[in-house]
Amino acid sequence: MISVDEFVSLLRDELALPVTAEDLGRALDAVDSWDSVHLLALCTILERETGRTLPFAEVLEAPSLAAVYRLATAS
Amino acid sequence: MPGRDVHILSAASSLPGSPVGNAALARRFGMDALWEQWVDVFIGTRSRHLALDLESGKVTTSLADLAADAGGKALAAAGAAPGEVDAVVLGTATPDRLMPATVNIVADRLGIDQVRSFQLQSGCSGAVQALDVARQLLLAGEARTVLVLGGDVIARFYDVTRDLRSAAPAELVNYVLFGDAAGAAVVANRPGPGSATVRALFTRLVGLGRAPGAVLEWFGPADRDSDRPAATEDYKAIEQHVPVMTEEVLRELLDGLGWKDGDVDLVLPPQLSGRMTRLITDRLALPEAREISCVDEAGNCGNAIVFLQLERALAELAAGGRAVGVSIESSKWIKAGFALEGDGR
Repeated sequence: MISVDEFVSLLRDELALPVTAEDLGRALDAVDSWDSVHLLALCTILERETGRTLPFAEVLEAPSLAAVYRLATAS
Repeated sequence: MPGRDVHILSAASSLPGSPVGNAALARRFGMDALWEQWVDVFIGTRSRHLALDLESGKVTTSLADLAADAGGKALAAAGAAPGEVDAVVLGTATPDRLMPATVNIVADRLGIDQVRSFQLQSGCSGAVQALDVARQLLLAGEARTVLVLGGDVIARFYDVTRDLRSAAPAELVNYVLFGDAAGAAVVANRPGPGSATVRALFTRLVGLGRAPGAVLEWFGPADRDSDRPAATEDYKAIEQHVPVMTEEVLRELLDGLGWKDGDVDLVLPPQLSGRMTRLITDRLALPEAREISCVDEAGNCGNAIVFLQLERALAELAAGGRAVGVSIESSKWIKAGFALEGDGR
């Protein structure tokens, strides 16, 4: 389990995305620099950090970074 | 007398080893099912050939090996003996060495000597640039038969010890996009069985003021320990510009020849990745054209790609059939294209 703050740090430090907590709810299209390669890198990091497998079909449908976070931390 | 037309008599290819699927790459680099699914959805390239033993990380095949193999096959298919070749041109981004030029090693292997030889330092449109050089020699009456080669071995850029889970996005995509191969064509001032006439061909640098879309570094003793990545791609710039440039090249070719969209029987689009190539072909929307692509199975193999496509196109092109090929180089941005008409068998 990682916190929202840790999630934001990870986006900033490992993916070099200039985001803040306020950006998590934005549509992914509206997130500065975001693209499909970031999606892959993010999922890979989240699997490493949480030790859980992410459901890729659902990740593809995720409308925002917050939604990806929820998928990664859902119990 | 020099002929007015230039003909592609034959084309051939050479790919190292067996195809390496996404699952095998995933296993080697410690990636999981999610990564494989991502490659399927966003890259759409199923396999590629690598001049590399994935277990040991050792490079197994040189560019000279592949280019000599492809060149020998192309000469045989054209019914041309090495002694009939008046010039050899090779396009590559990844020569085996900086010196001697790989083109001259290949010529030696094929028994070609006492001729002009050129090696172009080139990216994805290198095949068209090499064909352009050959065409100019033929049109000038300086040659009757030219062996044109193109290929790349990017295997040396694969670091099998790399943990891709921590790779930067711009580096990550390189591990799935590319493949190794060489190709060849015999170009002449006369037609032959199954040949195609080159109706138009151009390459044009359009890189003024543009940042490079792809960079391959080379290192020597003074900087070999540098930590800058050996290969990077500005895949966003590529995704943005290549489809537009492809359409521009197609329009320029068709307008110049007075061909209509419905006149094109075969289209050879740029081979970036399975997914990008499908998007580009859909955008071109040529109503009667069959797509000639190989990126799904061979990956983007740089300077070899157009020859792999030509090999298939020549096999399919009927007498009077029309083919259009487009190649875009994103390293410093070059637009290139050609139009062919089948000569018949």
